[in-house]
Amino acid sequence: MSVEKNWEPKIIAFTCNWCTYTGADLAGLNRMKYPENVHLVRVPCSSRVNPQFILRAFQKGCDGVMVCGCHPGDCHYATGNYFTRRRFMLMKRLLEYNGIDPQRFQARWISGSEAAKFRDTMTQVTAQIRELGPNSKFQEKWYQEGGPENE
Amino acid sequence: MSRTGVIICHCGTNIASMVDVEKVAEEIGKIPGVVYSVTNKYTCSEPGQQMIKDAIEEHSLDRIVIGACTPRMHETTFRKMLKGTKINPYMLEIANLREQCAWVHTDKEKATEKAISLVRMSVAKVGSNKPLFTSFIPIHKKALVIGGGIAGIQAALDIADAGHEVTLVEREPSIGGKMVMLDKTFPTLDCSACISTPKMVDVSAHPNITLKTSCEVEAVTGYVGNFEVTIRQKARYVNHDICTGCGLCETKCPSKISDEFNQGIGERKAIYKLFPQAVPAKPVIDAQNCRKLNGSAKCGVCQIVCPLQCIDFEDKDQLITETYGAIVVATGYELIDWTKLYGEYGSGRYADVISGLQFERLVNASGPTEGHILRPSDQKEPKDVVIVKCVGSRDEKKGKSYCSRACCMYGAKHAHQILEKIPGSNVYIFYMDVRTPGKGYEEFYNRTREDGATYIRGRVAKIYKEGDKLICTGEDTLIGKPVTVKADMVILETAMVPARGVEEIVSKLGISMDGDHWVQEAHPKLRPVETQTAGIFLAGTCQGPKDIPDTVAQASAAAVKVCGVFSKEQMETSPMISRVNEEKCCGCEFCVKCCPYSAIAMKEIDGREGNRKIKRMVATVNSGLCQGCGACTAACRTGAIDLLGYTNDQILKEVDALCL
Amino acid sequence: MNDTLEIKREAQLRETARRLLEDGTVGYIIGWGTTRFEDKTAPLFAAKPEEADRLVWNEYCINSLAKYSLDDKYPEKKIGICVRGCDSRAVNRLVNDKQIERENLFLIGMPCSGKENSVCEGCSHKNPVVYDILIGEPVEENTEEKASAERFREIEEFEKMSPDERYEFWAKQYDKCIRCYACRNICPACSCKECYADQYMVGWQGKQNNRAESQVYGLTRAYHVGDRCIECGECERVCPMGLPIMRQTKKMLKDINDLFGNYECGVESERAPVLGEYDLTDRDEFM
Repeated sequence: MSVEKNWEPKIIAFTCNWCTYTGADLAGLNRMKYPENVHLVRVPCSSRVNPQFILRAFQKGCDGVMVCGCHPGDCHYATGNYFTRRRFMLMKRLLEYNGIDPQRFQARWISGSEAAKFRDTMTQVTAQIRELGPNSKFQEKWYQEGGPENE
Repeated sequence: MSRTGVIICHCGTNIASMVDVEKVAEEIGKIPGVVYSVTNKYTCSEPGQQMIKDAIEEHSLDRIVIGACTPRMHETTFRKMLKGTKINPYMLEIANLREQCAWVHTDKEKATEKAISLVRMSVAKVGSNKPLFTSFIPIHKKALVIGGGIAGIQAALDIADAGHEVTLVEREPSIGGKMVMLDKTFPTLDCSACISTPKMVDVSAHPNITLKTSCEVEAVTGYVGNFEVTIRQKARYVNHDICTGCGLCETKCPSKISDEFNQGIGERKAIYKLFPQAVPAKPVIDAQNCRKLNGSAKCGVCQIVCPLQCIDFEDKDQLITETYGAIVVATGYELIDWTKLYGEYGSGRYADVISGLQFERLVNASGPTEGHILRPSDQKEPKDVVIVKCVGSRDEKKGKSYCSRACCMYGAKHAHQILEKIPGSNVYIFYMDVRTPGKGYEEFYNRTREDGATYIRGRVAKIYKEGDKLICTGEDTLIGKPVTVKADMVILETAMVPARGVEEIVSKLGISMDGDHWVQEAHPKLRPVETQTAGIFLAGTCQGPKDIPDTVAQASAAAVKVCGVFSKEQMETSPMISRVNEEKCCGCEFCVKCCPYSAIAMKEIDGREGNRKIKRMVATVNSGLCQGCGACTAACRTGAIDLLGYTNDQILKEVDALCL
Repeated sequence: MNDTLEIKREAQLRETARRLLEDGTVGYIIGWGTTRFEDKTAPLFAAKPEEADRLVWNEYCINSLAKYSLDDKYPEKKIGICVRGCDSRAVNRLVNDKQIERENLFLIGMPCSGKENSVCEGCSHKNPVVYDILIGEPVEENTEEKASAERFREIEEFEKMSPDERYEFWAKQYDKCIRCYACRNICPACSCKECYADQYMVGWQGKQNNRAESQVYGLTRAYHVGDRCIECGECERVCPMGLPIMRQTKKMLKDINDLFGNYECGVESERAPVLGEYDLTDRDEFM
């Protein structure tokens, strides 16, 4: 499969409203620069993120998926991210077991004050995924455009 | 088909300088369902808002997307604006084009492309938005305070003074708690009873306070504004409506039991008042030790001597259920049982190794020795006294890892009292550190040292008896040499631990505890008197070790929080909460386990199985408790529980829109 | 298999079943019956005492029976179910998931020394973990070493492959999948009133039968049941296309064991599923 010209990684990040989304806003206020490839979906808490969303994102064409929330112990809802942690530790392993590169799905705790960490994480993840190239695994589009014969 | 209106804000030049807003508006205008797509210089301004209002009328819009600054900035502004239109305030989505696009990118072309994606995601999401409506829950303006120590007393008085009804529940026969056991309070050396008993009397006399002693909370259901609380009134065997508290019964009672108020030093009767200034000042019968009630003898002397026939041996526990709008938990602390943990200090075999609280009773004028410091073993005045701090505190191996905060100061106070009351006495204080964070505390510590207390930095490794002396050996870590002190009495300043039974009360209330079983506050810095459950507040040491000033301050803070709840007739609840689709719910209770607020309960509904009517269980969300975190939604395999405002459908639409 | 012992067990089963049906303890009994093939049995529902003799007990009694109780969640009389170790764990599963009430069941415990089924090889509970009556004497359990060595052997092998190899393997498997949902229908952990895959919600699960949708289905299924899987292997056995479905759920179980300590589902009756609780000291990889 040849890499499309001008291909840009498409990265979706599910971020909790109270920490990471706030941290991203702070990065904006501080005019920190990071790649355009990252798109945030705002959710109230990282525990709102159903692991099925991640599957859907890969299926529909995302090259990288992230789930970000408050650091354990700092959850606005007290315990939400402890569930997040369990859910995604398992989901990440299951994805990798099914052949997804570890970098393509990542979870991170980024607090509302960690604008620099937000910038650095997003820059790093984008670079990693750029390195990996477009994702074909689990993707509907790839299947529809020729399927197994196209391998 | 929905009719979406899109407004892309220039934000002056904030967005427009990095994003080609006209192009964004043009591209978004091509999406089916978007019937109106324009740019605006300052959307949040008055003219900007008016423009949206006009567009809603003119283009019959039924939902709005605004591409502007972060929704955390103006979401409420625009929702408020929509209140005046025919569109529901929740038919709005904001795409973050400033903080998360224009301000963080450098390539205008790419930033514009990203902006289009972001707005497209919002357009997709808003397509699935549904009108949401805030609901109101009634507030019962009556508070329940659990625990009648100084924290509970202060909270109850403050709430009552603000004009609200309060019920104060105490499981002991009298309020007063630990503070009333103390002799003097540091650093000012006020008499503890002199400053706390007037407050106790105020409680009993306050028209807004219902005092319930010998009572325990049996069950709690409901939510903020509407807690249904069942209280168990334990049998007292004395009719307090008639009893005048003359005390005749107490003098005649033949049973003598170790006195718990005096920490086991001294005795009390089976019919007793907890202490002379008890509130209410009326006795109760300790059924376990009463000869008549435990069946060991016929007795009944109290019944015979009582001039008013108050004694009722047939008295039974009673359950009372009432509705409260808010609850203050003030269950307090107790001291760690060092005898089980510290074999090297004799495990309680030596009568003259006592706890700090026992010393408080010894030195107290109304205590068993009438304020004379006498060794429990032989009633002699001790000359050499060793005080050991951090017994059970800061000791991960045997006790607790935390610092109990008050011991440094009351240790100094004990030293001061001994030196003052026993001329020629010597006091040796074994310490790890001296922590004096408080007004006048460091000064008090210095004064104690000037009084002649000897501070030795190190732990006591062993205490053993030699003749009538207690030999304390340890190491002075400052000089690195072993030290031995021959003492007549040893005072252990033991760690505070949560009061017994805190686990039960916590589970009844549906709040949480930390690893050491202190009740968990909602946020360690910003919400220290609240719990995760709306309407339940914390006061005093149930939340963690603290001294009296901090306890009283927190109690007043909790009272203000209660008054805050009571300041409205009804409470508005956010509509962005979880909702259960009962048709799909299979009743597996998975969501119940994930909810941090105990907001999900199971209820029985009518169902049909073949041609039979059946009852089945489904989850139901309490709108008063749900805070809208959505943890339950990801736990539900069926997708039967969904978070309004962030539904599965809405989020997946966003995902799909990004991937177009 | 000790034949005489098992023949005796069959006789005891029939006798017990007859008695239970005669005295009205149960409304009917779910067990195994013969088919026209000598090496196959099929679930049998015996409602009359005289039908008790149609129950069989041999090495072909493979089908898991517990889930049939879901078809009659509100029975007038108790349902008698023959339970081997795996079936009894399935019963615990359904009880813990609040799908059936234990009081509605009468469990006839069948100690089982293994059937003509590959999953029985590393069985860790040959004797039922819960029952109301036990037929015959308990059988000897596999040694813990054997059961644990067998449990995740395949998964460990598979993990050694490269990500691309693993992807290729699964992609080929999911190309075969016809999305008949037999794996779901047989699974005692799949007890939703309406499976997410059957719902009309576009984003949840596409209905097309293509690789991507089947992959999403496969992973979602594994995630949904992974922390509650009782390792009976029925999903894999019933798959008409021969997908190694257990390797997905067992992967989840293996990780759960690695991350959160020893974990086996349906053995105790009250333990919460791993994803329904948390521990402050859980490993943190997301810093």
